[in-house]
Amino acid sequence: MAYVQVENAVKYFSREDGTDMLVLDRVSFDTKEFGITCLLGPSGCGKSTLLNAISGLERLDQGRVEVISNHGSAPSHSPRLGYVFQDPRLLHWKSVEENLTFALKGMSIPHAEWSDRLRKYLEIVGLSEFRNQFPLYLSGGMRQRVGLARGLVIEPEVLLMDEPFSKLDQLTARRLREETLRICEHLKQSTVLVTHDVEEAAYMGDRIIILCARPAGIVDILENPLPPGARDVDDLQFIAFKKRLLQSVLKLMEKDEVPS
Amino acid sequence: MKIVTCASPINNAAFTMLTAKIEHNRLPTVMAREEKALAASVQAPLATEGSAIPARSKMGHGREAAWTTGLRIASILAMLLVWWALTFFFPPSLIPHPIETFSEVAAIVSTGQFFTEMGATLRRVGVGFAIAMLVSIPLGILMGTVKSLENFFEPPVILGLTMPGLVWAVMMIMFFGLNETSAYAAVAVTIFPMLTISLWQGTKSIDKDLIDMSTAFHAGPWSKVVDVILPQLVSHILAAIRYGLGLAWKVVVVVEMFGFSNGVGYQVVRGFNVFSMKQVLAWAITFLVVMIIIEFGMIGWLESRITRWRPRVEAWRR
Ligand SMILES: Nc1ncnc2c1ncn2[C@@H]1O[C@H](COP(=O)(O)OP(=O)(O)OP(=O)(O)O)[C@@H](O)[C@H]1O
Ligand SMILES: [Mg+2]
Repeated sequence: MAYVQVENAVKYFSREDGTDMLVLDRVSFDTKEFGITCLLGPSGCGKSTLLNAISGLERLDQGRVEVISNHGSAPSHSPRLGYVFQDPRLLHWKSVEENLTFALKGMSIPHAEWSDRLRKYLEIVGLSEFRNQFPLYLSGGMRQRVGLARGLVIEPEVLLMDEPFSKLDQLTARRLREETLRICEHLKQSTVLVTHDVEEAAYMGDRIIILCARPAGIVDILENPLPPGARDVDDLQFIAFKKRLLQSVLKLMEKDEVPS
Repeated sequence: MKIVTCASPINNAAFTMLTAKIEHNRLPTVMAREEKALAASVQAPLATEGSAIPARSKMGHGREAAWTTGLRIASILAMLLVWWALTFFFPPSLIPHPIETFSEVAAIVSTGQFFTEMGATLRRVGVGFAIAMLVSIPLGILMGTVKSLENFFEPPVILGLTMPGLVWAVMMIMFFGLNETSAYAAVAVTIFPMLTISLWQGTKSIDKDLIDMSTAFHAGPWSKVVDVILPQLVSHILAAIRYGLGLAWKVVVVVEMFGFSNGVGYQVVRGFNVFSMKQVLAWAITFLVVMIIIEFGMIGWLESRITRWRPRVEAWRR
């Protein structure tokens, strides 16, 4: 098992006019013991920035981020990290399958496993038929699913997902949520999932972290009372939890409201 | 429920969350029923049973290609017509008749002279081009990625661009003497700045998000260049090759005119020395034909092969 530890993360960006803009305001959390941690917050608050910091693509101004492996094995072992980006970020000159092998190659997955993994994850996202197609000939939702498959196919120990279901229709999204939940549990992944959608957070998250508008800071942390297997969108207990989540979000909005 | 109308940055999110609230406050049974209906409707299209699968429209493709070819042929015929018309106003020593000129072309080709002379010229262009590419591609990529290298190399590259090919040709012949090396060097030096600039600008327009993606998936430096950077530069490289070929032809002909004993440029000078416009034109025409074959045949083919992944733009480019 591996997990993410974020301590006191502070991040500034520069505005056009050279002034500093605080994006992350002392964010601390870890994903220890938790399968899926959901980050729920309004648009532009800094969720993607936080994921970028965890993946090492963005440097923090203060605080630190660590991806820790409590493998007990060699300390040199750095946990494998998968990233499903908000925009799919596909290599347009490579076919669907080649986009996945690009990740397999980079992550040094043994060549012998490639074909089995490709078959399995393309099947899961429902793109087996399109494996030789180029991304620009696919629909927006299909491209998003390629990005999802690329994050999953390397079977990472830590999985970062940035609104991976946002461009999909309700039924496809629901099926992929279930599938992702199953995969995360099976592979004992530690997952950070960014979302706007309260229901998605309640369904996917073992723990939900609510962030406020920029600068992002943690305003509330809720633990899901239901285990992954027992979450049913029509179940009353589930709906009750969703309501609690929603109330927490709405409370936050009222606080941010400018009195007129 | 409260409706948020203030101009706060979270307005969008507020909207999403409010709609979410409205939707999810409905009774579970209603939701379940709706979803069943939705699931059922997804399974089959609302077509009448047993109706045949509609045929795909294939019209227009062939006709469009024929129209394009027709326009090109018409353009060439129009040029020949103008040429022919000019023969009425000028003596044949200045404007030879098209038919006589083309029989001269036929003579050049049938004696095999065309192949030896054109071969020599093509080799000079090819070698010079290869040298320039080998230096320009890495240098252009480095200039596009490393700020200090950009600042250092910008002045010489811009200065090189403004230097006329003729001056390079003279300087290279003075430096290397009248041999093949001076021809290769003149071609390489002339097109080098232009190639470098287009690679440099192309590299600056590269999608940084894709580089981040490749970093996140631990792509090695070689894979980053070959799988991520170079494919984004292909259009820039091809455009530079096209433009560079035009420059290379011009400078190689000048070099050959200075006293080489073969090559197309030398043949043109010979035509000039005996004041035979027919011979000059005949060589110019063979030259053009070779250019067209390289441009449309080879580069065009290469481009359509390499950019197979990109949907064609012809749809709106009527
Ligand atoms: N490279 C950058 N340079 C400057 N500012 C940036 C940069 N990237 C993001 N920002 C700013 O940081 C803030 C947070 O951006 P971020 O992408 O993290 O938001 P987000 O929470 O993911 O939003 P969304 O839900 O809409 O994706 C935004 O206000 C954005 O303008
Ligand atoms: Mg984002």
